[in-house]
Amino acid sequence: MGLIILRTAIIFIALLAVMRLMGKRQIGEMQPFELVITLLIAELACIPMADSSIPLLYGIVSIVTIFLLHQLMLLVDLNFKPFQTIVGGKPSVVINKNGIDISQLKKNHLDLSDLIESMRTAGMFSLDEAAYALYEANGQFSVMPREDSPKEEKVSLPVLIIDDGKFVAHNLSLTGTCEEFFREILQQRGVKSMRSVFVLTLDGTGKIYLQCKGEKYTTFRIRLPEGSSW
Amino acid sequence: MVKTLLSVFMTLALLVAAGIGEHFFVVSRFEKFGAAVGALYDKTLEERAARADAGAVKTLWESEKKSLHILIPHADIAYIDYWLGEATGCIVTGNFEEALSKLEVLSVICQQLPQLYTVSFENIF
Repeated sequence: MGLIILRTAIIFIALLAVMRLMGKRQIGEMQPFELVITLLIAELACIPMADSSIPLLYGIVSIVTIFLLHQLMLLVDLNFKPFQTIVGGKPSVVINKNGIDISQLKKNHLDLSDLIESMRTAGMFSLDEAAYALYEANGQFSVMPREDSPKEEKVSLPVLIIDDGKFVAHNLSLTGTCEEFFREILQQRGVKSMRSVFVLTLDGTGKIYLQCKGEKYTTFRIRLPEGSSW
Repeated sequence: MVKTLLSVFMTLALLVAAGIGEHFFVVSRFEKFGAAVGALYDKTLEERAARADAGAVKTLWESEKKSLHILIPHADIAYIDYWLGEATGCIVTGNFEEALSKLEVLSVICQQLPQLYTVSFENIF
């Protein structure tokens, strides 16, 4: 029994560590330790239930151990703040006044598509609509809209043209543009290398959101080529 | 907060007590059964063992295994049943040499099985 208690505790700690290392991508509206408990409880209950050669007590002891660990985690969560950060993580600010914080995205194993998807889920379709955006410790996405958020006359969906230094071919054809068109724009804006561009989005009004790595974002307007609409 | 603390201490106490209780219970049951197997082994060695002696060990095991089923995987118990059945069969037919090897296996199982459930590095990992 002591063996089962220790083995359950070891698996619990190992799973918790892995969940924390995987970042917020793997967590869905739960604290990491809550997710680990959810993952374990089902299995612990099922194995002795389905396999009659294992005493039922094994499952009961494991579940009671999980309960004990849960209660301990709750105590830690409420009383020891530094440990709470280690176990549960802390919110990550991925959009601030300078634009997207690339290091925070990478730290949480997220990419630009994940961020844009989260923004859309939060009801914001343009990256410059958010003053701040953060992934909470439980993986939820929160956005603070910009006070001076631009109100566009023409409703159009901004599409991703350059994602981490690479053109998105599908979106180029969707917008009826080509790589050369954007290379010229970037040259005019003083961008030396394509690889330094982290994100470039374009909407149907010709508004571009551009952020180079390690720089603040800029928005500007261009004249769309003839017949370009989506 | 008080409720959480109380639940932590109560659960911890329950688990520790159950763990210690289980250890002593399993060890004592196998010591008792191992001693009976040892006695049967000695009798078999002297070729004095009879069906009644093997039957007595079997009866003892039948009563012990009822409670052991709660704590030990049933496959391990079935393993003892198998070797005890073999040993009894050999004693009944007077094949004492074969019976000795079966009883030797049973003795080893009685020593090794409780060790498998103790808290030790090799058992945890």
